[in-house]
Amino acid sequence: MNLINLRIAWRNIWRNKLRSSVVMMAVTVGLFGGLAASGIMKGMVVDMVKNSLENQVSHIQIHHKDFKANNEVDFLIENSSGIIERIKKNKEVKGVCERTKSYGMASTASKATGIMINGIVPEKEKQVTQIYNKLSDSLGNYFISDKKNRILISEKLAKKLNAKIKSKIIITFQDYNGDLTGGSFKVEGIYKTQNGMFDEQNVFVRKVDLDKLLDMPANSSHEIAILLNDFQKAPEVLSQIKPAIPEYFSEAWYDIEPYLKFTSTLTEFMLLIFMSVILLALGFAIVNTMLMVILERTKELGMIMAIGMNRFKVFKMIMYETTILAIVGGALGILVSVIFTWYFGNVGIDISSVGEGFESMGFGSVMRPVLEFADYIQVIVLVFITGIIASIFPTIRALKMRPAEAIRN
Amino acid sequence: MNIIELKDLHKIYNETEVEVHAVNGVDLTFEKGEFAAIVGPSGSGKTTLLNMLGGLDTPTSGKITINNTDISHLSGSQLIDFRLWNIGFVFQAYNLIPVLTAKENVEFIMHLQGRKKNEREARTKELLTAVGLGDRLNSRPSKLSGGQQQRVAVARALASKPKFVLADEPTANLDSKSTENLLDIMERLNKEENITFIFATHDARVMKKARRVITVEDGKIVSDVRKNGDE
Ligand SMILES: Nc1ncnc2c1ncn2[C@@H]1O[C@H](COP(=O)(O)OP(=O)(O)O)[C@@H](O)[C@H]1O
Ligand SMILES: [Mg+2]
Repeated sequence: MNLINLRIAWRNIWRNKLRSSVVMMAVTVGLFGGLAASGIMKGMVVDMVKNSLENQVSHIQIHHKDFKANNEVDFLIENSSGIIERIKKNKEVKGVCERTKSYGMASTASKATGIMINGIVPEKEKQVTQIYNKLSDSLGNYFISDKKNRILISEKLAKKLNAKIKSKIIITFQDYNGDLTGGSFKVEGIYKTQNGMFDEQNVFVRKVDLDKLLDMPANSSHEIAILLNDFQKAPEVLSQIKPAIPEYFSEAWYDIEPYLKFTSTLTEFMLLIFMSVILLALGFAIVNTMLMVILERTKELGMIMAIGMNRFKVFKMIMYETTILAIVGGALGILVSVIFTWYFGNVGIDISSVGEGFESMGFGSVMRPVLEFADYIQVIVLVFITGIIASIFPTIRALKMRPAEAIRN
Repeated sequence: MNIIELKDLHKIYNETEVEVHAVNGVDLTFEKGEFAAIVGPSGSGKTTLLNMLGGLDTPTSGKITINNTDISHLSGSQLIDFRLWNIGFVFQAYNLIPVLTAKENVEFIMHLQGRKKNEREARTKELLTAVGLGDRLNSRPSKLSGGQQQRVAVARALASKPKFVLADEPTANLDSKSTENLLDIMERLNKEENITFIFATHDARVMKKARRVITVEDGKIVSDVRKNGDE
């Protein structure tokens, strides 16, 4: 039964080549449009999440229980090195680093602005964040000289403060004892990530230099950041770390920056919603075509029902034709999308000319569309569903026909 | 034994403003092996009568018994199944599925019945050969003449092994030669295989061949004549 029905459906489709081709093309173009747009969106989000994690958030952070609420320098992690040694033993951990953090003011001769000062241990920091990769050659170094009081600032901040390499920047803040203190730092490097907001706020100095100015107790820090081999293992590793250091507050990336997780999830939904809306519109086009088909074939359908084709088989016959229309167009659309995603996924689409606004939101200036196997499966399922649903209405129309009337001359 | 019994059959169309009494109190029986023609002028109710006989239309009142089954009260989908297994149809036109070849058209009805591939193929070949189209198995209807198409329709009607074949104006679109050819084939099938044929027609050539001629006028039977040897 199936084969002959498929054969009938297939041949029926080509009775009106132009009309069928137009419908199929519409499906192809619609799906490609939707998939390309979804792929670009998803690519941007994946890129943003990756950059945020690699430059900024890392995968797990540990703080004093009250540090996050107050951000005050006296909420310390004591015995940092002991904790780090312990965490390093976990096989999923790629890198661990500790930081001293303090809010302060950065000022040059002409300008001043509020900033977050990150005291880092460069060798350890390199294992966790990619900031050291974000310096262009002409813009200095990442703590190569071991001279005292060197600072790394962003391009954005440099502009704001009118600073260059070797410029002097005065940093002022409250120390561990609550006294106002400060120091003079020399710009050693200028970095630039994709996140303009992050860049504007963060400067990096050696932890030893900052600790001295803050009068920090020995072997203490404000933040321990952990990078994992696989960011999806964060919940698992977190559940191992938490009980080991119950006195501190350990948190995974999706709780540190919920919007990252939210944006990812939203993007997955967007694909589904996007494609559903497009297929709904295409579904109407298909229904319309099939209604025309039914009208044209009134006598033929009447005859088939007269000789004994039952309702369900009539439905199947119409459904096959409808679904093939959707599937052939859909398959083409998916094929084009696969090629598009593959090609531009490798080559990238440069949007730097229009990307100014995006960058301050943490998106990159090169878009690389990303679509996964599961996305295509989702779309294929949707196409099938569209085909089946779109055949219901034409079938109802066909079954309303009375064969005796249909075949009367 | 009677395979068809019609009792006081009425069909009134009242879809339009004027009521049409298309079939008006028909009593009629058919036996196995008949070769009968229902004749009468256009609009006399032949098609309506034949459609009710074939379960394509339901009577307003009266009783239709086929092989001891009362079909006047069958539901829509029961009727579809009933038609598939009991009745062969040959219409005036649009008999075939245009996208299927002669062979596939004949096989199609056996597909509907769920018959096995071997049986389908053997029977299709046998029937198309019997109607003289053994060499046109793979032709689509558009490549066949009107007469050839009607012969495929006869083969298709027989493929389901029906109790009887109903043919509504089967020769209306055919030239004399094709008509004669088609009638000869049906007559032969009737005589050799004892297949029951009932025609609705106003074609004199069909009336001449028929062994029983039932004349209707205004939905009523005005004469019922059996010829040469038939009772
Ligand atoms: N669906 C219908 N609605 C109203 N009148 C109909 C319908 N079908 C047939 N008739 C009428 O019933 C009468 C018999 O028609 P029909 O059975 O087709 O006659 P025949 O086949 O002998 O030409 C005609 O007057 C015709 O107009
Ligand atoms: Mg008629």
